[in-house]
Amino acid sequence: MNVEITDLTRRFGRTVAVAGVNLQTGPGVFGLLGPNGAGKTSLLRMMATVLPPTSGSLRLLDRDPVGYGPRKEIRRRLGYLPQALGYYPGFTVAEFVEYFALLKDMRPAQVPGAVAIAIERVSLGNKARAKLRTLSGGMLRRVGIAQAIVNEPELLLLDEPTAGLDPEQRVQFRALLRDLGNRATVIVSTHLVEDVGAACTEVALMNEGKIVFHGTPDELTVRGEGHGTGDAPLERGYSAVLAQARA
Amino acid sequence: MSDLDAGQPGDVWSAGGKLPAVGQVDLGRVWLGVAAQVWRRRPGPVERLTGRLLRSPGLARALLTTPSLLVPWLIASVVVLGAGAAATLTTGEPLVALTAPAVAAAGIAYAYGPGIDPAWELSQSMAVSDRMVLLVRALAVFALNAALGLAASAASGTAAAVTFGWLVPMTAVCALALAAATLARSANVGVAAGLAGWLITVLSGQAADGRFSAAVTDSALVLPYLAFAACCGALVLHATRTPRGSS
Repeated sequence: MNVEITDLTRRFGRTVAVAGVNLQTGPGVFGLLGPNGAGKTSLLRMMATVLPPTSGSLRLLDRDPVGYGPRKEIRRRLGYLPQALGYYPGFTVAEFVEYFALLKDMRPAQVPGAVAIAIERVSLGNKARAKLRTLSGGMLRRVGIAQAIVNEPELLLLDEPTAGLDPEQRVQFRALLRDLGNRATVIVSTHLVEDVGAACTEVALMNEGKIVFHGTPDELTVRGEGHGTGDAPLERGYSAVLAQARA
Repeated sequence: MSDLDAGQPGDVWSAGGKLPAVGQVDLGRVWLGVAAQVWRRRPGPVERLTGRLLRSPGLARALLTTPSLLVPWLIASVVVLGAGAAATLTTGEPLVALTAPAVAAAGIAYAYGPGIDPAWELSQSMAVSDRMVLLVRALAVFALNAALGLAASAASGTAAAVTFGWLVPMTAVCALALAAATLARSANVGVAAGLAGWLITVLSGQAADGRFSAAVTDSALVLPYLAFAACCGALVLHATRTPRGSS
């Protein structure tokens, strides 16, 4: 298992963002669904080793991120796209991706080839030498995805990756996700149910810091049978589970 | 062969010295090899040397490729030191030097932290630790200021007073700002702490009875300043330690 989470909790003052989550997952594309404020981003940030948990245990890639050595090894093999991607406006696309490749401790000789592959995978080859300040929101999102995948991560964490992408780019991105999921554990946090249906092999639904559903997209669809809210079968499943959790 | 290896320049031509037939050429791989070379950034001699000294190309890049953070430092240091030296030489009153550490405190606090460094969140998940990035930035600033001060001291005995009267307290106040910013994860708190520390340790002790000049010229203060800086350094190390028992 690449991700093993046991009773993971994160509090911010009196607010409980993540409340005793248990989760295990291996290679494949894992969708993390839930309404705003459900705790998806906090859970993802803990998995990205950015946010320490308040309690509970977390093992990533068979390592405990508490120790400096294991944490560094996890980070070498991790890809992370934060919800709000910060960037240096004066960098070009290639410079930005290269900068983070180096901070991921990749071998310098390996970096130029890896940067070229990552940029091409997100279809930004024609913008490789463009300054980030000149790019649109969707293009910046793809730059963020490129830096996340530049080290061929074994654990890839993507927080709202399709935000700002147009429909054609979203279709391409889902294909990329499926490809990445063949070799790595890809965890995608989103509130777009259709992304999960098209790309994910497994899905968890969070509400108020807890996982209220864990299964396949088909199983989530089944939960929506006979439920009125939602345009698509998966949306009906999402709404049905949420309604049940809130009741 | 992994994708990354496949992207290495030269792979296309390395099949035992024999060129493949036209129909066998993988144009995608060829393009990636070309793109890797075209987009590749050639590190300058300073970056290569720094990379060797720090044993990390990533750290060297972090140190040298954040001009938006380092250039203001360079300009501020040169201008303040020059102005301080000139004011001291002409009037005998080190009033500019007296306020210089406050400028430095604000500078370093605003050079690092959430909301200040655009890629802070992303940097937190990198194998090269954010503490190391922070330390190399601080090292660059202190080393630069020390070099400037020594150069000025060699030219003028009076400038030596500015150097030792300014650089040492600047180090102390910067360390306080850095410690507070790191501890509170807020640059604003760092600035406030730096300024407050400066006011308390210098002005309350020396200037209460109207002896402003003594605040930066009294050599007896050097040791307390150094002790203060050491305490702040220890505070930074404590604040950025690995949280035990958190997972």
